[in-house]
Amino acid sequence: MNILLDNDTSLLIFGFLIQFTSIFFIFLKKNKSAVFFSNTINIIGLAFSLFISIKFLFTSNGNTFPLFYNFVKIDTLSLFFLFLIQLISIPTSIYIFSYLKHYIDEKRNVRSFMLFFILLIISSQMIVIANHAILFLICWEMMSMTGFLGMLLEYEKNEVQKGSFYYFAASHVIVFILYIMFFILHKLTGSWFFDEYQKNLQIIYPVTIFLLGFLGFGIKAGFIPFHFWLPQAHPIAPTVLSAFLSGVIIKLGIYGIFRTYLFLKPLPEWVGWLVIIISLVSAIFGVWYALAQHDIKKLLAYHSVENIGIIGIGFGLGLIGAANNSLPVQILGFGGALLHTLNHAIFKSLLFIGSGVIYQNLGTRNIEEMGGIVHRAKYLSIFFLIGSIAISGLPPFNGFISEFIIYVGFFKTANELKNYYPILMLLFAVGLALVGGLAVACFTKVNSIIFLGTARKEIKKFVINIYDYISLGLLSSLCIIIGFFPTPFVYLIGKIIKYDFVNYSYRSVLETIEWNNFSFIFISFSSLATIIFFIKKYFNKKYSSRKIEAWGCGYNNITPRMQYTASSFADELNEIPKSILLYHKKIDLSENVFPKSFHFESHSEDLVDSKVVIPFYNNLRNILDKIQFLSQTDIRYYIGFILITIFIYSLLSFIWN
Amino acid sequence: MENFFSILFSLSLFYVAITFRVKAYVSVLRFQGILLALLLILPFIFKFSIYAIILPLTIVLIKVILIPNYINKIILDLDIKRKIDPTIQQLTFLIIVIASVIIIFLLTSIISNNIELNVIPFASGFSAIVVGIYLIIFRKKLIIHVCGFLILENGIFLISTAIASELPMMIELGILLDVFVVVFLMGIALNRISDTFEGFEVSHLRRLKD
Repeated sequence: MNILLDNDTSLLIFGFLIQFTSIFFIFLKKNKSAVFFSNTINIIGLAFSLFISIKFLFTSNGNTFPLFYNFVKIDTLSLFFLFLIQLISIPTSIYIFSYLKHYIDEKRNVRSFMLFFILLIISSQMIVIANHAILFLICWEMMSMTGFLGMLLEYEKNEVQKGSFYYFAASHVIVFILYIMFFILHKLTGSWFFDEYQKNLQIIYPVTIFLLGFLGFGIKAGFIPFHFWLPQAHPIAPTVLSAFLSGVIIKLGIYGIFRTYLFLKPLPEWVGWLVIIISLVSAIFGVWYALAQHDIKKLLAYHSVENIGIIGIGFGLGLIGAANNSLPVQILGFGGALLHTLNHAIFKSLLFIGSGVIYQNLGTRNIEEMGGIVHRAKYLSIFFLIGSIAISGLPPFNGFISEFIIYVGFFKTANELKNYYPILMLLFAVGLALVGGLAVACFTKVNSIIFLGTARKEIKKFVINIYDYISLGLLSSLCIIIGFFPTPFVYLIGKIIKYDFVNYSYRSVLETIEWNNFSFIFISFSSLATIIFFIKKYFNKKYSSRKIEAWGCGYNNITPRMQYTASSFADELNEIPKSILLYHKKIDLSENVFPKSFHFESHSEDLVDSKVVIPFYNNLRNILDKIQFLSQTDIRYYIGFILITIFIYSLLSFIWN
Repeated sequence: MENFFSILFSLSLFYVAITFRVKAYVSVLRFQGILLALLLILPFIFKFSIYAIILPLTIVLIKVILIPNYINKIILDLDIKRKIDPTIQQLTFLIIVIASVIIIFLLTSIISNNIELNVIPFASGFSAIVVGIYLIIFRKKLIIHVCGFLILENGIFLISTAIASELPMMIELGILLDVFVVVFLMGIALNRISDTFEGFEVSHLRRLKD
């Protein structure tokens, strides 16, 4: 069989080959050159592949490209995720140049990290184009394991060992569930190929299989209550990896859920309700947990849970639409989910890289110890602000666009499916608005404490590389582009839904929304804001401005400790779901009239982690400890056990007869 | 006739249960080997063929001559004391063995209602397996473990004759070869252990734990 079917597919394979070639450069003699060359080649390969997949995506007319005896098949959904992975991989890879510099000086094993990272990128691309269940599982396992090994860059730290173990255990559970799911599918259809599943309409028990898939992929994606590994693993991973994990890997869970849905297309309506409720809970409590965190990366990890929840809400809406045969609801639901997947990948990796730059300079992840960075790194704070606005779903950036589609989906559902739907949809819309509001609160806290005020920790110099600027700039420009000019992206999403989800011929609701008006409004408002900014600057220059200490309020001997803190900011909001957040405060007040010291501490633990997962493992451990006596040193005991086993077996067989 | 030999075989198990001497074990092994050979010859008494006699002859060679002689040689070479070291009283051990044998015979007779098998050879073989394991569990000396293993193997042999009268000869020969190799290796291991440790008891092997 001729693999090189036509020029385009051979170009696609060529892009992959360039990425593979970068692995060989890891074995260069010096650490520095190894990282530099392998990373550069990898970025070139990724850029090439990205170019090809964009070309495919925009020119695609629903064709699929089977390659390698149908083991690999590229349809529109695969292309979209391929595009997403490559798009996010490039800035994160650029960030590696500056991130690993520090570790190269420390003489750490950066080569193995590079190896695992490149393999991680390649295997995650393989996952989305795999068309064979076994190939998919192999790639999935490779992706999980390279992610785990990459996490161990600072393996001697205790928290790294703990967090990576969470990831490891969760990955194994996922793979176990996926094996069961694919074996059932194989049993029912007699095939390992995905397109066979997709064609096969007679799959029995679709709900069971879908729930299995939702469980397995949902652990990866991080829906509450399966999210517990996420806030443990993301903070301890090297920043590059946590940006990639949060941006891409958990999206593979979403990809899996979409794929499972395509296998089992007609699903009953209650599945949609189940998904939407789980997602709403994830969104609300994800953001609420985030609000209670002090660790910037943990906070961002919880925000991933929130955004996965928003994606899930869109997906659930699509399911409801599909069950009711309502075309616009399906398009808006799935479309919002897909676009938010892309958007979240962009702004989450932007925020993670930003937090990584801060961590490299300050050496802490605790928000309470940061402050006043805007005076040292103006552009970093601008980039971070763009990411924050985007993640909160505020106009004019990309987060708004996808959340807007989901909101429109709610109202469209209420409009289309009368009956009791309007009231429920109203409830969901309010829930989503609450999520947005809490996200705004959370990122107000983050931005104001980290960037404004005065520095709480003394550092000599705030170093930002050109590479940092490039990767942050790329990502934030993507945020701006999708926000200001959503038309091509919405068109793209519409295309995916058209070819892979539901077939329709006329213009869909997605395209009937006047996106150009959005562009017009955003551009005019932002240009107005820019004009006002320059006028202000002009007047400042003319009449001179006065600079005083932040939060000074006229007091002269101000110290950094007198600033408003993150925990005080979030306290009021965290008090509301106190028992769910396990939010507790510790205040040490001396009884004296002139107290010498005050102490205040607020703390939040994960409900699922501390009330379900850890007790479960402790119980399991106790049970295992109790049967430890069976492990003897004398061989005669073992032979005795064998005898007892034989006896029990023969007794059982006797009873059986 | 088969039943007669099988019962003799079972009786030899009781003897094993109460004897104090290491050498008695070896003679029991010899005795059992002879019984097994006779059992195998029995069906072919009136239709003699050269193939029918190969297996019994091999059994006689290995189980009656080679292995017991080898064990005797080890006992002499390593100067193993002639008394065994039981961990429980001999009488208790005998009672356990008798109880097990009774239970096994009863069970086998119940099973034979459904499945076609020769009750007494089968039950004797099964008892030999159980007693062989008991010997390994309740005795300290390594040499007795070897004997226990051999008795167990004899039991398996007997069961195979009880279930299917004719196993393929090559398989039987293969089993015999296996047993011989195992005993040989055990002998070597015993020699080695005697170089390292003072006694020949399993309890010394605790230190070998990883």
